[in-house]
Amino acid sequence: MRILIVEDDPVLADGLTRSLKHADYAVDCSTSGIDADHVLAAQSYDLVILDLGLPGIDGFEVLRRLRRRASAVPVLVLTARDALIDRVKGLDLGADDYMIKPFDLPELEARVRALIRRGQSGGASVLTHGSLVLDTAGRRATLSGEPLDLSARELGVLEVLMMRSGRVVNKEQLAEQLYGWDEEVGPNAIEVYVHRLRRKLEPAGVSIRTIRGLGYLLEKETHV
Amino acid sequence: MSEGSSNAPVRSNQKTLRKQLLGWLFWPLLTLWSVSSVIDYDIANRFVNLAYDRLLLESALDIGRQVKVLQDRVYVDLPEIAVQMLQSRESGRLYYLVTGPRNEYVTGEPDLPPPPDPFSERVNYYDDNYHGRPVRIVTLRLPLETGKTESMVMVQVAENRAARNEFATQILARMVLPQLLLIVLAGLMLWFAVGRGLAPLETLRREVESRSHRDLSALPIEETPQEVRPLIRAMNELLERLSLALAAQQRFIADAAHQLRTPIAGLKTQTELALRQTPSGDAHATLKQLRSATEQTTHLVNQLLSLARAEPSGGRAQVTQRLDLHTLARSATTDWVPRALERKLDLGFDTDSERIEIDADPLLLREMLNNLLDNAIRYTQPGGQVTVRVGYEGSRPRLSVEDNGPGIPETERNRVFERFYRVLGTGAEGCGLGLAIVREIAQSHGAEVKLTTALEGTGTTVHVIFPQAEEAPERVRAAHPAPA
Repeated sequence: MRILIVEDDPVLADGLTRSLKHADYAVDCSTSGIDADHVLAAQSYDLVILDLGLPGIDGFEVLRRLRRRASAVPVLVLTARDALIDRVKGLDLGADDYMIKPFDLPELEARVRALIRRGQSGGASVLTHGSLVLDTAGRRATLSGEPLDLSARELGVLEVLMMRSGRVVNKEQLAEQLYGWDEEVGPNAIEVYVHRLRRKLEPAGVSIRTIRGLGYLLEKETHV
Repeated sequence: MSEGSSNAPVRSNQKTLRKQLLGWLFWPLLTLWSVSSVIDYDIANRFVNLAYDRLLLESALDIGRQVKVLQDRVYVDLPEIAVQMLQSRESGRLYYLVTGPRNEYVTGEPDLPPPPDPFSERVNYYDDNYHGRPVRIVTLRLPLETGKTESMVMVQVAENRAARNEFATQILARMVLPQLLLIVLAGLMLWFAVGRGLAPLETLRREVESRSHRDLSALPIEETPQEVRPLIRAMNELLERLSLALAAQQRFIADAAHQLRTPIAGLKTQTELALRQTPSGDAHATLKQLRSATEQTTHLVNQLLSLARAEPSGGRAQVTQRLDLHTLARSATTDWVPRALERKLDLGFDTDSERIEIDADPLLLREMLNNLLDNAIRYTQPGGQVTVRVGYEGSRPRLSVEDNGPGIPETERNRVFERFYRVLGTGAEGCGLGLAIVREIAQSHGAEVKLTTALEGTGTTVHVIFPQAEEAPERVRAAHPAPA
């Protein structure tokens, strides 16, 4: 896996390079827009980490030229500006993700992993959460290798929760995912499915937390 | 020393344009009127005297014609009816006295005052008192028909001045009172004209008075009198310079904060790497401190930017739109759940209204809620509870963030809204800008911020109470179509 870092601040560039090298990526570093443009035209990468505020031609321009060459390489944009317009412009130009400086290194590493994975497979059909594995294509779930006995609707609830693991999923989102358009369902039914899921998952230490007034959340694996 | 006196209210010296104009108009007019009244009185008197004197002389001549000499004795042959006519005239009774050539009494009132000086003219008028009343007297000398020279008869006729005085006063009143009325009318007209003329200034005053400190837009110059336009233009230029200076200051803060972000990102990344390579020991502890200092710096820089954005002329115009407070607050609260879980806090959302319409800038509103949540989560101990509530206070939309943390002492409640003010002894790493940002944004929305303590007596609840959303008639009509 080859990553290009385009960042003109030497301290930050050095930190990023070393962190990613530790994670066994091959890392190249470029400190100006023109240099990055040349390198990107000549070499192929699995991911580009691109700073927007660059001397010479800025990150937007590098991104524009990259996409004009019809390159599909995932691009993670770093910026010191957080203005909404910049963010929208970056995403419009074909950035895949966006992080505002200063960022948390573990979060950057997680996003790098996700972007590279997405670039590789184009979306995984298997979701994993600790010992819990859900095959979205085969509609099957296993816990520590043992098949879980789940109804189709329980499976649907679990799928949404796993896709947004660590984030809040509200009842409307669950209902929308589960029932299509013709069937009307109340929030009470959702509570019932979540309750049943909890009973089946809790023995394995997977817990679905209720967030007051907001929805449910599949808690992150604590044993990392 | 003159400073102090200029600040003191000097009510009596307060000069309004109206008072000044009235003063300039009124006193000269009044003086002119007084002078003209004196002249008018003089003229009136003169003509009245002339007319009345002529009548008086006629009476004297009438009497004089009846003076006869019989055997060297002078006598007056006045018929009784003539005497009655003299004594019962409309304009007041006449008194007369006829004196012979040797100064002997002939007829009439013997005690009529004599003429002041010996005189030689045939006719002489003078004023005197008779029975305590001012009288006008005419003295007429008539040669006797005896043919002797120096034998003259003197006829005196006196008349009360009251009648002629009254007549003169009447004439004067008819001349002077309309003038006075004219002056008063002019004053009233001026009073109203000044009021009408100054109405645009009054509108301007209200406009300036009702402005918030954030509004530095130009004052309206249309419909103001030509004379005050230079003043408004000068004020507008000042406002423009002020807003440019403010914008420059905001830009500087924003630029500085942005510039700081890249080096801090480098610092953070390097610290994180160093921590991973240093498993334990003193160096590890030092690096952990370094990491927490970096976190704090990051927070401060973000808050500075947030404040710069929240302030007027902070780089972008406020975009007010009709939005649902419920949806926005729920979405913003959801974003904070991971952070709350990290800090082992129970973060929740509560409402009793499905839709709460307010007019607000969604970005700024989110910024405000983020700061409220950041504060609540930062200062509440693990195991605590934070709840975001939306609802109504009367008819006004209300957003509250409630925590059961250490709370803010009563004495510090006003100070926490100051920039960089932090409550001592909380042990949390805040920068003291959160509530300043909240207040700034609340002010820009015309909202009120209140701090209270929860019923259980611990923790802090911050309420933001918004003005009621303005009625949108077309929206109401769309929602409740008229029954067909």
